[in-house]
Order: sequence, then structure tokens, then C-alpha cells
Amino acid sequence: MPYEFEEILETIKMTEIEHFDIRTVTLGISLRDCVDRNIEITKQKIYDKILKYGKNHVKYAKEVEDQYGLSIANKRIAVTPISIPFDHFKRDDFVEIAKTLDKAAEEIGIDFIAGFSALVQKGFTNGERELIESIPYALSQTKRVCSSVNVASTKAGINMDAINLMAEAIKKTAELTKDQNSIGCAKLVVYCNVPEDNPFVAGAFHGISEPEVVLNVGISGPGVVLDAIKSAGKTDLQSLAEVIKRTVFKITRAGELVGRKVAEKHGVPFGIVDISLAPTPAEGDSIADILIAMGVEDVGAPGTTAALAMLNDSVKKAGLMASSSVGGMSGAFIPVSEDQGMIRAVQKGHLTIEKLEAMTAVCSVGLDMIAVPGDTPTSTIAGIIADECAIGMINNKTTAVRIIPAYGKKVGDTVDYGGLLGLAPIMKVSNLSCENFVGRGGRVPAPTGSLTN
Amino acid sequence: MRISEEEIRKLTLEAMSELGERATPELVKKVVEKSVAKIGSAPGKIQSDTFDSGRIILTAFGLDHAGIIAKITQAIADAECDIRDMSQKILDVFFTLIMIIDISNSPKDLKEIQTDMNKIAEEMNIKVFMQHEDLFRFMHRI
Repeated sequence: MPYEFEEILETIKMTEIEHFDIRTVTLGISLRDCVDRNIEITKQKIYDKILKYGKNHVKYAKEVEDQYGLSIANKRIAVTPISIPFDHFKRDDFVEIAKTLDKAAEEIGIDFIAGFSALVQKGFTNGERELIESIPYALSQTKRVCSSVNVASTKAGINMDAINLMAEAIKKTAELTKDQNSIGCAKLVVYCNVPEDNPFVAGAFHGISEPEVVLNVGISGPGVVLDAIKSAGKTDLQSLAEVIKRTVFKITRAGELVGRKVAEKHGVPFGIVDISLAPTPAEGDSIADILIAMGVEDVGAPGTTAALAMLNDSVKKAGLMASSSVGGMSGAFIPVSEDQGMIRAVQKGHLTIEKLEAMTAVCSVGLDMIAVPGDTPTSTIAGIIADECAIGMINNKTTAVRIIPAYGKKVGDTVDYGGLLGLAPIMKVSNLSCENFVGRGGRVPAPTGSLTN
Repeated sequence: MRISEEEIRKLTLEAMSELGERATPELVKKVVEKSVAKIGSAPGKIQSDTFDSGRIILTAFGLDHAGIIAKITQAIADAECDIRDMSQKILDVFFTLIMIIDISNSPKDLKEIQTDMNKIAEEMNIKVFMQHEDLFRFMHRI
């Protein structure tokens, strides 16, 4: 037999018991050729183009699922940052474009379409200002559209004006979607050093250096890593890193296989595998549980950041070995509402925003799916975003903020979105003000690390 | 291009029969090495990363009782699939079976065969998993 008994059983165990699935196959589609002076023609062009490439996306993914007995949790689409080709439009036109994206997504049968985005780390064009202004309306009038804005980078510094605008947009989105627990904010990400090929919605978009159309894949698998760590028992940290690497190596290989197969069916190039450990609200599919299995009492305990750093690094190393096309975020995600263990830790008072912020310095994203009181001042939200951007800018890594100032909610309440977005306990935010700092506006200059040429 | 153990074994046997009485361990080794190098460098034989082998791996588990293999192999024969390899163990009262099946000549696709197997699994009160061999190859072989 060409495979060992144990190897076969291991694979079966991963897919059948440990919730290993491919988290997302995301089809990136360029909309750069959909420009027209007339908004109606533009909308038609956008719709037609997305349908042209995307209409079989769900079908193809399902076929690959059946072929390999491996489930693909999400099928999604990312488009060119809308502000780039459609820079000449005004706020209301952008809302119309968002509705068109929504309609196309509905027609294809996918739950999210991402790319209602702008890249403004160094400054705004007129269109980018209009797009940012349109975000609250776009997100409240659509169901499937996700938005992201990059406000800082190591090369350009931190655009504080953009952060202030985004903080306002977040507050406004929370208000406009207050009937659904401010769900609009769950579809809005503020970035520093955004990757252009990230397949994970809500922060996905089809970067400007990407080809016409491309297929990227995001893998998941915290359950698999958790079980591997548990069965490793009491080993030292080097051996533990080995265990994590071995496991992630295998799931990355499976992810690449699935990605290539789906791309082959589409007849489009395969882009990257994002080897992120992305939790889901399902029990056992949790990053927090991995950290606990590594030995901390609960997430938030001293040592959590070190454990997360090791986990994140092991994931990257294994991924690099397993695939020659690693991209996106590639690391461990620590969203609060989407992870049972994180939710528990917040509810018990073990995990605070401040500790989470420290953890984001060593993991692949940032403050993700954090619900805060609805009356949190706009300047405080801007301050939180600025802190995250600073971590990303100085450390030359991606950081992101997806924060939900849940309208009308206070510390102790929870907001329940159901499904993949999960349940978010409202976290306490410092009452100290940063208004005079963020209110200065302008740009934090790029750090010395930017001068690499 | 990778050459499996099985193929090397086949090459060795071929070399031995061709060499007949002249076959010495050294000579056979030399011939086999030459052939392996030749296959390895044969142009036009390079397979893509996701080369579809047409083989699937069937795994069945459950409490042991009479007729499990009979049922499964009957279904495989009905689907005109070819069993390439098979390994079965009884661990205490548990029955485990692993088969490599070639489905490339079957009129049914993997999904239909899977449906057949699910029926058997229900009937016999066992679990049957079927997955494409590529998945195992990708995960466990570099």
C-alpha cells in the first residue's frame, strides 16, 4: 500500500472529526475595465463582468468538495478596490455600485462580496473621499457587500485624517444598522499594510497588481492544530513548534490542492494560499483553545502573547515549506466574536482590549470583531485604530481593526449575529480621551524602517 | 517525476527475467538504476502538481460482523471500479478496512459511488469514507 495506515487515518480524522475545512475560495475579479461616464452603464458593466467570471464559482467549488471529500466553507468574490476605477463618481453613485455588487453576489449565490475599498494611506483623491463617505449608506443598504480601507503603511506612514473619517464612518454605520445590532460594522475593516491578495472577507479585495481574474484560497483548521497539540502531551516548546508545523504543513498542502483544482475548473490562474488559522464559532474550532492547550490558563493570562507569537510563527514556517504560493495574511486570526474561547475569556473578564492589542503585535491581523459600547466617542475609536496602525507600521506587518460600537449597548451586553460572525460581548474601553491627539489630523510620518532602498 | 516503490519493484522483476541466468545482484541494480534515471528524465512525462490519479481511498470502520467486505466489494464491482490495493485489520471487535480503488473506468462518478457506499454504511452500521487519492498524496508526500 503506498500510504501508511496511520497516514490515512490521520487524514480521515482531520476532515471528519477535527473540522478541517477549506475556509474560503475567493475569486478575484478586476473591474478596471468597467468604467463609464454614465453610472447606469457602469453598473451594468460591473454586473456583467462579475457574472461572467463568477457564475459557476459555487458550482465548481462544490464539485471539488465532492471530489476530495473536503468541505469548502465559503465561496466568495473580491473585486478591484471600487474607488480606483470609479474615482469620478459621487457618494450616491458609490452606494448604487454597492447595490450592484450586492445584486451580483445574490445572483451567484454567495454570502459576501468584498472590495468596496480604498487605499488612502498617503492621501485622498476626491473619489476616495466620496467612497469613504458612502460606506455607511452602502453597508446599511446592502447585505453582502464588505468594505475595507487602508489608512496606513510602513512606506507612507499613518493618515490620521483618514482614520478620523473612518472612525466617523464606523459610528455612522453602527447607527444606520442599529436594528440589526450594528451589523454593518462587521463588514468594515480598517487596515495598515493591507495585503492585496487576501482571500478572507471582509478585508479582501482584488489588488491593483493582480491579474484580470485569479483564485485565492484561505485555509482554516484550528481544530486540527488543537488536537495535535493535545496529543503531543507535555513536550518542550521546540517539540511543540514541530508538532504545529507538521500539522499546518499538511493542511496547507490540502488547501493548495483544492485551490488549484477550483482554479483549474474556472480556467483562471491560481493565486495564493493564505495559511491562516481562522476560527469559527463552532466548538473546538478556536484559537483560544489552542493557546490554552499550549499551557496558559485562559486567553489573557501572562504568556498569552508569547504563545500566540510561537503559534503564528510556526504556522508561517510550515506554510512556506508546504506551498510556493503563500500570501495574504498567513498566520493566526484572533477575532473575538467568531471564537468560542475568546468570547468566554472576555465574558469572564480575562481578556481586555489592551491585552488583545498586545496580541495583535505578534499575530496576523488585529483587533477583529470587537464590540464596544455604542457611546464610545469617535475620537476614541480613531485612537484605537491609530494604535493598531502604529503596531503595523513599525513592525512592517498587516494590522486591521474591525470594531463594532454597538448602538445603544453597554458593557455587559452581548450582540448576537449568528452564523460565522458569532456572538460579541461588549468590551470595556478606556475612558481616557485622545481627542487632542487624533484631532490634530495630518499624517504620522513614515518610520525609518520605510527607508529600505 | 516520482517513481513509486511498486514501479521500481516491477522494473527489478523485468530486469531479472530479461537477464535470465546472467542476473547478478550488481547487474540487476545497474540496469534498474539506468531505467529509473531514464524514466525520471523522460520528456513530456512531467505531470502537473494536481495530476488526477483517478484513484480514491476508501476507509471503512465499525463493529465487526459477517459480510462487510462482501457488500463493499460487490458495490465496487457493480460500479466497474478496480481494487488496486486493500488492507484490513480487526482490532478487538473493531473492523477497519482501507482500499485503494481506481474509478477512472467507472461509468459512475465519485459522488454516485459515495451514495452507494452510504447506503451500505447505513445497512451494515459502519462508517465508510471515500476521498480522492490526490488529497493523501498532497498531504503526506512531498
